Amino acid sequence: MVDLARKNLLHDKLRFLITVSGVAFAVALVFVQVGLFLGLLDNASITIDHLQADLWVTSRNTPNVDFAHAFPDSLVERVRSVDGVERADNLLLAFINVTQPSGAEETAIVYGLEDFRRWGVPWHVLEGNLDDLRRGDFLFLDASAERRFGPFKVGDHREFNGQRLKIIGRTRDALSFTTTPLAFADFDLTQRLAGERFRDRTTYILVKLAPGADPDAVRREIQRRLPYNDVYTKTEWAERSRTYWVASTGLGMNMILTVFLGCLVGVVVVAQTLYTSTMEHLKEFGTVKAIGGSNADIYRILGQQATIAALFGFVVGGAMAWALRPAMAAIHLKLIVPGSLAALVFVGTVLLCLGAAIVSFRKVARIDPALVFRT
Amino acid sequence: MPVLQAHDVSKEFREGRETVPVLRGVSLALEPGEVVALEGPSGSGKTTLLSILGCILSPSAGRVVVDGETVDGRRPDRLPAIRRRSIGFVFQQYNLFPALTALENVEYALNVKGVKGAAARTEAERALAAVELGDRLRFLPRDLSGGQKQRVAVARALAGKPPVLLADEPTANLDSQVGGQILTLFRDLAKRERRALLIVTHDPKVRAIADRVVQIRDGRLAA
Repeated sequence: MVDLARKNLLHDKLRFLITVSGVAFAVALVFVQVGLFLGLLDNASITIDHLQADLWVTSRNTPNVDFAHAFPDSLVERVRSVDGVERADNLLLAFINVTQPSGAEETAIVYGLEDFRRWGVPWHVLEGNLDDLRRGDFLFLDASAERRFGPFKVGDHREFNGQRLKIIGRTRDALSFTTTPLAFADFDLTQRLAGERFRDRTTYILVKLAPGADPDAVRREIQRRLPYNDVYTKTEWAERSRTYWVASTGLGMNMILTVFLGCLVGVVVVAQTLYTSTMEHLKEFGTVKAIGGSNADIYRILGQQATIAALFGFVVGGAMAWALRPAMAAIHLKLIVPGSLAALVFVGTVLLCLGAAIVSFRKVARIDPALVFRT
Repeated sequence: MPVLQAHDVSKEFREGRETVPVLRGVSLALEPGEVVALEGPSGSGKTTLLSILGCILSPSAGRVVVDGETVDGRRPDRLPAIRRRSIGFVFQQYNLFPALTALENVEYALNVKGVKGAAARTEAERALAAVELGDRLRFLPRDLSGGQKQRVAVARALAGKPPVLLADEPTANLDSQVGGQILTLFRDLAKRERRALLIVTHDPKVRAIADRVVQIRDGRLAA
């Protein structure tokens, strides 16, 4: 079977290059924009995702994990006494001023827990022993803090809310949506650092369910005992934290607009080049009709050309986005492209290119085959 | 029995509010193996008649029968099938696909007619050999001379063995010698395979190879 569609498309290499470039640009734009968006959102819930808690008790209407409000830390006892709870611990999360050696003031988010190892955070320890956190005024600091605090090493000291603390460990990948550096300290020390406002208070209660416990039943019972708090499953809480940033910052709308513009550019380029190509090949399409081809035969040719442009554009655009990953990483941006996104973009690319071909469909449907007799 | 018949065919076109008659009661019949030249001045209705006989246009009135099948002008969706089965075209401008080789141009036409794969390839090679282009199978149209392009067009028209061949000014873009060779070749092939061949032309050389010459003036056939 002679593949007229492919041969015609590749016959004019410059036009093919322009078409593929248009699609590739749109694909790369969507991958980068959505990938960065997912990377940012990943930071918004990264600690929730890694903390091995089945349920989170928060103060009422806490919007996301970073913007925590305090409640009495004694409530944890009520949670511990609920059937089906294997363990419950307070987690205090506080924004603490950090004085740099230069005198500059910065901020860190300090996670205060009694036993980090039990809850699985921090998840990448580069240096230090987590058990040592209980032995004094010590903390672990994430390596990403170097961007804000400048270089530091284990054994250095920093002033947190005026208290001199020793850095006894370094972690990696512990990030926040706000880019504020994360530190990890003992719960009691964190309460002290946070000041009077946090005396005998906590911001979260982490709950580990006993094997075989019914999560819904445990959750209902905790909610009954703590009527002025909220109780979320891990998934719900992560989702709520991410949604806050998407909905309240315009980030979601910005992403949707950019993706829309990317798609629009791709569709316009493909539609324009296919239409121009169709106009230039009008006599050939007339010939196809004259030798017995139907409109469907010509639609197939145009559809196949659009699909080929989509395939090449997707591969090139995907490669462009992939090639940008190291550059993004160098400026501390994560580009997350899950398989489902790649599949969605692929299907979208093919559909949009086919949609762009419809403009040409309308033109060829009206071709008068008698034009083959015109000179 | 005629393989192509037009009975009292008329055609009108609307131009704004006016109706312009182009063909007025044309009747014509071609027997298998017959070569007919259709001559007439510009605007006489030659191309319109060719389009109707080739099932590209439907007549406003009258009847066309191609290879025993009456063409139903009210069902334009059925015309492509008749063209595929029964008609081969040769155009003044060759109308080859520039991206396809000579062989692929003929093979593609066969594909459209429903002949696929090795059968199409073999048939295309045979048709090109018949027009003496067996050594130019892989050439793109841009690498062929005008005469060679028209030979490819003739091979494309012959491929699939349609009983009716219609040619629109096939020698208009060729020099006299090459045009003569093409006409002789075309006639010989049509005769050998018992195809009816209608050639619309201004070229006096066509008279020499035609069995019959038909004149058309103001939409009417003259004796």
